[in-house]
Amino acid sequence: MKNGFRQSMAALHTWTGLLFGWLLFAMFVTGTAAYFQEEISRWMRPEVVATAAPAPATQAAIAWLQKTQPDADSWFITPPSARNPATEVFWQPRTVEGEQHARRRRNDTSATLDGIGRVVTTRETRGGFFLYRFHFDLHYMPVLWARYLVGAAAMFMLVAILSGIITHKKIFADFFMLRFGKGQRSWLDVHNVTAVFALPFYLMITYTGLVTLATLYMPWGIAANYASPETFFAEVFPNGGETQRTGTAAAMVPIGPLMAVATREWAGAAVGSVQIANPNDVSATITLRRAADTAIGARGESMVFAGATGRMIRGGAPEGGAMATQSVMIGLHAGRYAGWGLRWLYFLSGIGGTIMVGSGLVLWTVKRRAKLPDPTRPHFGFRLVERLNIAAIAGLPAGIAAYFLANRLLPTGMTARAEWEIHSLFLTWAAVLLWAIARPYRRAWIESLALAAGLFASVPVVNALTVSRNMLTGMMTGDWLFVAFDIAMLLFALGFGWAARKASTVNAKPARGMRTMQNMAAA
Amino acid sequence: MARKRIAAPESLAARISLPLRILGAIVGGYGVTSLAVACLARILPMRAAEASVAATLASFAIYAGIIVAIFSARSVLRIWLWLMAAALLLGAALYWSILTGGRL
Repeated sequence: MKNGFRQSMAALHTWTGLLFGWLLFAMFVTGTAAYFQEEISRWMRPEVVATAAPAPATQAAIAWLQKTQPDADSWFITPPSARNPATEVFWQPRTVEGEQHARRRRNDTSATLDGIGRVVTTRETRGGFFLYRFHFDLHYMPVLWARYLVGAAAMFMLVAILSGIITHKKIFADFFMLRFGKGQRSWLDVHNVTAVFALPFYLMITYTGLVTLATLYMPWGIAANYASPETFFAEVFPNGGETQRTGTAAAMVPIGPLMAVATREWAGAAVGSVQIANPNDVSATITLRRAADTAIGARGESMVFAGATGRMIRGGAPEGGAMATQSVMIGLHAGRYAGWGLRWLYFLSGIGGTIMVGSGLVLWTVKRRAKLPDPTRPHFGFRLVERLNIAAIAGLPAGIAAYFLANRLLPTGMTARAEWEIHSLFLTWAAVLLWAIARPYRRAWIESLALAAGLFASVPVVNALTVSRNMLTGMMTGDWLFVAFDIAMLLFALGFGWAARKASTVNAKPARGMRTMQNMAAA
Repeated sequence: MARKRIAAPESLAARISLPLRILGAIVGGYGVTSLAVACLARILPMRAAEASVAATLASFAIYAGIIVAIFSARSVLRIWLWLMAAALLLGAALYWSILTGGRL
């Protein structure tokens, strides 16, 4: 650390990057995919084709809940929107004093309805939502641990970005420098170009990511002013408090006019969700929240009405500067406000980040291989990094392709079907790891990348064989989601295929080889 | 590997210098950041909820700044002296602020 500022920053960048690189890679992959989580979910539930106007569909959903769940504590309805044509409902069953809190399966408290209140039977899947949750909750481990781990990774990322910026003297010139076929130099160029390409995005996404879970990571700001976090949240979100059911029954007003009032109040913005507490009781309240795609802030405005009379109880409370800033930061991270153009930019920036992290990981090995005392017999740590790189960079994408395939191939009546889709992802990932350990280094790269390419290429084929909606039918009927999904899968297949070829044709020392990641920019 | 080159004279001081620096950055940095955030939450001239949120939003920038400063500083000893001085100062300010009442 005595070699001057830039050197110590370079060391800091290298080691923070390596330590959390694999986790960050996985977070980038699943986070990027999550920008299309609604679309992925739609693709994974091809049975859902309903389209309907939001207000009648919501009324129909209420009628369905009225019939099936009249005693629930609350109902929660997501009206159909441009990104999800179905009406999603879930409910909180009445809590009975002293009763054991039984573990409920998802389908016991939720349903997917069409525009006229009929249940749409779909294959059991967690869809794109799983990729979104994996991004910060991981899987097979307690959520709280996962969130601390993910937060530590994000903090390392922030430090890696800052030290990376400091390390680069010619950050602007580097952006125009991409030298192919030059081994280590090329890897460094790829790392620099992808890093500078969307640098403001990485800074924004890392910082706002930390902000989404800030009260978990840094609870001391609230602790300094409040005896407990609950007091804080009760002050900030006053409608969180539950009102007691009175026991006196009362019919509820129709939902349509309330939605119209809200939309007028919000200058034409749609209603994103409807929550009804204590349905069919005089104490019933109807909370309407603004759709997420109409403003950047993540905390959409809400309006609360009395269920029995339709009287407005509370309009949107104006929030202060700090709260509004936080809301916008979280909104910027989640990107729910983004239209199609911006959404694709988010996606491409995410892929850029994935390549940046991936090329950084590979660069670590490429840089050190030449300096090894005996390059043919590297030490354990070096081999470990090499193999984990293969497993992370080729394994997770292969796993995601397997997740899509499992969605089409697992029998629809299977028990724990949604769980087995997820297991398929991790089994594939684990298989690639084992393969990467078992095979010679270069063969392992080639074969893992080829596997990922093959799995992505087979998604459109398997889809066409198992489901009646695909690229061709989509083009004829205007079902663009299925067209876009197939094209995306083929592009990923091409990208990984190109990488596998590249890895196999590069001659000379293995060190000069694998430019796995550049191609993914095309995909 | 880069590490070995830097710590060439393998004296005890050189060997514990890096772990102490890492510990200072991760643990010491978090501690000082927490105290700074708590102080900010109490002294920022806005509603309590607003001040709490504003301080929390700034926390990661403070933390990252401290980490970068620690890794660029020359002497480990000086890092720890600075950390302790900052902790004492902020801790005292927080203690005084809570004693004199107001929020909470």
